[in-house]
Amino acid sequence: MSVKTLTDAPGVSDPPEEPRSRFTPGRVRDLPHAGLVAVLVLVVVFTAVQSETFATDRNIVNILSQVSVNAVLAAGLTLLMTAGGMDFSMGSNVAVTAAVSAKLLADGRPTGYAVVVALLLGTAIGLVNGLVVTFTKVAPFVVTLASATLLDGVALLVHDGSTISIGTRMFALGNDKVLGVPYLLIVAVLVLIATALVMRFTVFGRDAFAIGGNEHVARLSGIDVTARKLTLYGLTGTLSGLAGLMLLSRLGSSSPGGTAGLSLQLAVVAAVVIGGTSLAGGHGTVIGTALGLVLLGVVANALNLLDFSSNYQPVSVGAVLLVAAVANEMHKARQGSARH
Amino acid sequence: MTAVLRARGVTKSFGGAAALKGVDLDLYPGEVHALMGMNGAGKSTLVQVLSGVHQADAGTLEIDGQEQHGLSVRRARRLGISSVPQRRELAMGLSVAENILLGDLPTRGRAVRWKAVREEARTALAALGIAIDVERAAGSLTVAEQTMVEVAREVRRGGRVLILDEPTACLSAKDADRIRALVRTLRDEGVAVVYISHYIDEVMAVADRLTVLRDGAVVTSAPAAELDDAALVRAMVGRDVVSTRPERPAPKDEVGLSVRGLSQGRAIRDFTVEVRRGEIVAVLGPAGDAQSRLFDLLSGRQRPERGELRVDGRAVPFGRVPASLASGLRCVTGDRRALGLVPGMSLDENLMLAEDRFARRRLHRRGGLARRAAPLRHSYGVRALAGNPPVSALSGGNQQKVLLGKWLETSPAACFLEDPTNGVDIAAMADIHTLLDDLASRGVPVLLASSSAEEVMRLADRVVVVSAGRTVAEHDITAITRDELVATALGGQPQ
Repeated sequence: MSVKTLTDAPGVSDPPEEPRSRFTPGRVRDLPHAGLVAVLVLVVVFTAVQSETFATDRNIVNILSQVSVNAVLAAGLTLLMTAGGMDFSMGSNVAVTAAVSAKLLADGRPTGYAVVVALLLGTAIGLVNGLVVTFTKVAPFVVTLASATLLDGVALLVHDGSTISIGTRMFALGNDKVLGVPYLLIVAVLVLIATALVMRFTVFGRDAFAIGGNEHVARLSGIDVTARKLTLYGLTGTLSGLAGLMLLSRLGSSSPGGTAGLSLQLAVVAAVVIGGTSLAGGHGTVIGTALGLVLLGVVANALNLLDFSSNYQPVSVGAVLLVAAVANEMHKARQGSARH
Repeated sequence: MTAVLRARGVTKSFGGAAALKGVDLDLYPGEVHALMGMNGAGKSTLVQVLSGVHQADAGTLEIDGQEQHGLSVRRARRLGISSVPQRRELAMGLSVAENILLGDLPTRGRAVRWKAVREEARTALAALGIAIDVERAAGSLTVAEQTMVEVAREVRRGGRVLILDEPTACLSAKDADRIRALVRTLRDEGVAVVYISHYIDEVMAVADRLTVLRDGAVVTSAPAAELDDAALVRAMVGRDVVSTRPERPAPKDEVGLSVRGLSQGRAIRDFTVEVRRGEIVAVLGPAGDAQSRLFDLLSGRQRPERGELRVDGRAVPFGRVPASLASGLRCVTGDRRALGLVPGMSLDENLMLAEDRFARRRLHRRGGLARRAAPLRHSYGVRALAGNPPVSALSGGNQQKVLLGKWLETSPAACFLEDPTNGVDIAAMADIHTLLDDLASRGVPVLLASSSAEEVMRLADRVVVVSAGRTVAEHDITAITRDELVATALGGQPQ
């Protein structure tokens, strides 16, 4: 009862007027992705002070175009994970589609033909994942881990031990710029924006949230969960095909055991998770994913500029992932306690 | 004899709704104390206060004469108060022996002494006269056996006050007998047993003392010998509810919803009901009985072994959610957390989740969504503190209204509702009753699954009473009194 009298006392129940700006440090901490932005700013400022080349236009464009391939994959994965799915095979899908289209181009097929085959092949691989996930009860983690390993092997078989060069075919996509912005970056940004719009402004995107949030409720509410999941897995496959073409055009060749494969996938999953998308589904943002991609890109670039051995690369990705995951969890706990 | 646990004036409210109002309770060793009351009377809250899950707002709790402040679950356990909840909590992959000794495995060095584990578990079970092979996996046990294993575990840990929450719900007569025998053994061992049950005859058979709760207050507390069935029913049902039955237009003649010969295993056997347009028919049974299966079967989540469903005369195939939705049948679950709402999504989005899908919308705009949701929020009385919060931040009553609004505004041809006032306060309950009256007045056939006789008397035109999966009685609501209904529903055993 004494608590009651305290709050009823004059002057105590009314919080003092706040004439200053509404953005106090406390409020900033409540903004979405606050922790992630803080870490990003910290890394950027530190690197910019240590290295003169970091803050140049050229280097920044370089960072962004290096994460372009990852960005296309991460966009699809964000949508899929929001719907409670998981695809570990996107990176290996990239390896296979890049190898197959490299082979087609090297055999002298038209570029358009190779592009269509790559996209269709990627989609088909995604759909197979989707079919297995939806029509058996096996966890998507297991299904796509299996297909990732399988596809890595298929890529090795397609290469048959040798690097496939495509000469100057598709050179423009991988290396040219419009107004100083590489084509690859433009493609990546377009895919990210399109995904963000789908997630926010279409019923298809909201279905993904509903399925990830509670699949039973989604089904009972008249959402065709099976069709939605198949579409989502197919879509991640298509985007993997696109990423395969982007990677091929940038490198000019496809080599066995190259940059694609499970290791590429792990970097993509890391970016999405750093961005705060829930592994359990029901929550995810493209902005977070974009921030995660940039953070990983900046850290890799910083290590490079500060003359660290490239062996520190995986160490840094792991460390950033861990720090970001902990920060996300603390942020969630804060928001949770503020609500009640 | 001194009480092992003494509660005085225990009061507890949740968000303004009083769940317990000054409850006194004494528990003596070697006595079976039955706790009775309708749904929402405060039994579970009281039990949760005793076992340290919730802390009382006011009142005192004494254990062995020592007053306890801020009792936690861990501390209550250490003092010997343990509860066996309705949902069994065994590690299903482990053996019975491991489950009994969990957290206290006998070891040599760091290695588990498996022989000792089995022997101690056998001793623990034998002391209570339970015959279960300790090497079986917990997952392979029947529900009754799981209950027994849990009881043995709690007693072995030094449980002196054992709270059993509806231990015989969903059990066959034979299994229920085994549980009751176990309860008597516990009593003879000097354990103070708190026994919660909806079955009057069972309580009269097993309890030494009875406490009846109604609306969070103790109505009666007396030795079982001083009470008879009728007095008990009167005490439980008591005064009128706040919401009173209005005049609804008479139901039309044509049948809107019919279910014939619905059967699934032992849970529901040959269930038949016909609901006319504008009529509310209730299916009443103890919690967890046949009426709880209807949602899964009618919504298309599960396929029954036999049966036929017709909406407006058209046959509806079982086992497919889209088919059930396309028929115009709207099924509102009683488990809003698992099957009703998407917790992380906003209030408005949950409210419009089904309607927007039926309307085959492609685009989603927050402004438009808020405009479409506003009239629903208003007519269903959903109150949110600020704007459009995640639905999980709302109170139970408001969540339930969101769930009803989500389904009842999708122009239903027929409605099935399961415990529509589950876990909501009195005010929200009255609101929800009015909403259902309106629904029936619009000419919609309504089938209502309930475990509350009060609610059935308030809402239904007709009532079908089920017990152990079978229909045991059917009455026009005007042809039966509330007490008779409670007696049929709680005491009615299948012939």
